[in-house]
Amino acid sequence: MPDKNALTEIYRLNCFVENKPGVLARIVGLISGRGYNIQTLNVGPTEDGTVSRMRIDVLGTEKVLEQIMLQLRNQVNVIEVTSRRRQQ
Amino acid sequence: MNHNAERSGARALVESLEKAGVEVLFGYPGGAVLDIFNCLTDAKFQFILGRHEQGSAHMADGYARSTGKPGVCVVTSGPGATNTITGLATANMDGVPMVLITGQVPLSQIGTDAFQEADTTGITRAVSKHNFLVHSADEIPEIVAQAFYIATHGKPGPVVIDIPKNCQQAKTTAQYPERVSLRAYHPESAATGTQMARLAKMLNDAKRPVIYAGGGVIASGAAKDVAAIAHRANIPVATTLMGLGAFDEHDPLSLRMAGMHGTWAANRAIADADLLIALGVRFNDRITGKLAKYASKAKIVHVDCDPASIGKNVGVDLGIVADVKDVLTTVSSRVKSASHADWLEKIAAWKAERPMSYKPLHEAVIMPQQVVEAIDAATDGRAVIVTDVGQHQMWCAQYFRHSIPRHFLSSGGMGTMGFGIPAAIGAAIARPDHMTVAVCGDGGAQMTFEELVVAVEHKLPLTVVVINNGCLGMVRQWQELFYKGNYSGSILTVKGRSANEHLEQDLEYDYLPDFTMMAKAHGAAAYRVIDPAKLEPTIRKAVKSGKPSLVEVIVEPRANVYPMIPGGHGVEDTVFD
Repeated sequence: MPDKNALTEIYRLNCFVENKPGVLARIVGLISGRGYNIQTLNVGPTEDGTVSRMRIDVLGTEKVLEQIMLQLRNQVNVIEVTSRRRQQ
Repeated sequence: MNHNAERSGARALVESLEKAGVEVLFGYPGGAVLDIFNCLTDAKFQFILGRHEQGSAHMADGYARSTGKPGVCVVTSGPGATNTITGLATANMDGVPMVLITGQVPLSQIGTDAFQEADTTGITRAVSKHNFLVHSADEIPEIVAQAFYIATHGKPGPVVIDIPKNCQQAKTTAQYPERVSLRAYHPESAATGTQMARLAKMLNDAKRPVIYAGGGVIASGAAKDVAAIAHRANIPVATTLMGLGAFDEHDPLSLRMAGMHGTWAANRAIADADLLIALGVRFNDRITGKLAKYASKAKIVHVDCDPASIGKNVGVDLGIVADVKDVLTTVSSRVKSASHADWLEKIAAWKAERPMSYKPLHEAVIMPQQVVEAIDAATDGRAVIVTDVGQHQMWCAQYFRHSIPRHFLSSGGMGTMGFGIPAAIGAAIARPDHMTVAVCGDGGAQMTFEELVVAVEHKLPLTVVVINNGCLGMVRQWQELFYKGNYSGSILTVKGRSANEHLEQDLEYDYLPDFTMMAKAHGAAAYRVIDPAKLEPTIRKAVKSGKPSLVEVIVEPRANVYPMIPGGHGVEDTVFD
């Protein structure tokens, strides 16, 4: 579980994933299954119909975010992930 | 075969498994896989019928741990699939390559709460590396190829293929692909030149280096490379539980296992080291204890194929995402020979100060540690040891001298009771020329005992040793040490049960079940040992028979696993016997 004392901020993850059934559940499950709360979730198509784009805002520490990014990149259907800290 | 031949999805599946190189398929039939089972009788690979889907999954796991090849299992929908969850989670945590095929209700019935319907991809998502729901028979060959690729590339793991019954029945001409291409999954990664140069410099500059080898060393086949570097530069080697066998424990450079129940020398050396070379490990909490104090004097190099494991628990000075064997073969030529005489002298002193030892509590009662020593002696340390989970698992780690990779198979990460017997059967099927010894406690042995019949049917050279202390020993130990001896739910004999269980104190049935009678009912030879003098001869007799057998050993119930670093503490808080 996240360390409640560490400095938490909102991070936005930009995720390009294969547009296949079950991928959204997989990504969301990976994040929530580790005890991290998703603040905002937005999924939509890209110009390439086989690729979807997910924008996910997560509340956490930099270390937490780094771990989530690495775990996301390990996923078979994840093409690319980037992140940035959001201005609050 | 006509390459455009149309055949059922089920037939295409079996063909694909043959193309993927499957030699043994474990499993259990049911309504949603009848079409697949109908084709199995013509398949080139052997089918092994388990007695419970959890058992079949652990067999596939044991087969995979023993050979390094993916273990393959097929079960039906609904309860067939849900019964494999523990097996999947066990393999997933320890990075074991597996492919599980589950039947599913027809696509048209998915979501209708049909008979034996379960959301298998939903349920298995968190306990598998990846999963697929097949939507058409045409997808089957490609998905099978992808599943085997994913199971065995990057950090290995279990992959589930859920196949609706109508897709098994539908016709397809789709062929198994020549090569696998996955759009988004490219796990191969190699060390950079700069990383290799830094690693070599750190190795050559270190005064007090320790190599710390995990399951990744065994998975990548790098045990010989670890030994080569250790010998050239006189670097002591500690292992994790999963790394047992990665370095010969008879070697003077061996520190044996580190961690909560590791040797004093290994934990002391890691605490004092100036360089820790961690190879294929995860820095699990059972290893590190208190993180702030872990290897606090050392620069840490972490080599692992999984980028997410680097820096997850322990901060590292040099993280290399690559295959351990590739890194070691590349760096090997740059490692200068060194004696590290002062350091090795210090380590020798720690070894002498606190060797692995136990005190007999009563001379007429067998100590559980003795049982493991007897197995080591009776098999010349050559047996494949498959453990269940609990005290006996730690004693097997501590009192057997491990020297061969893939000869110690244990549920390390998940700690799955009931793993031992079926995993040992899978391992014995993989290596029928070899002695396999399953070591279980009386608790875990009862969880999957039904699988023993498979060993009997296939006349496997498997000996099950049940170390019977009449309790769930590790639970009892923690209750003794941390819960003021309140033995709630942990006693299996009639005597000594807590009052809330409302048990009549009828001592006629103090030890139940009688494991020798259970074994005989399953068709195995069985022996019960109470007398310490008969321990080793009986185990020797059972193992040398080359037949399925069980040895039940009644042991001292109050024995505890030591040394022990209580959870969240450091090496200075080690508790000894």
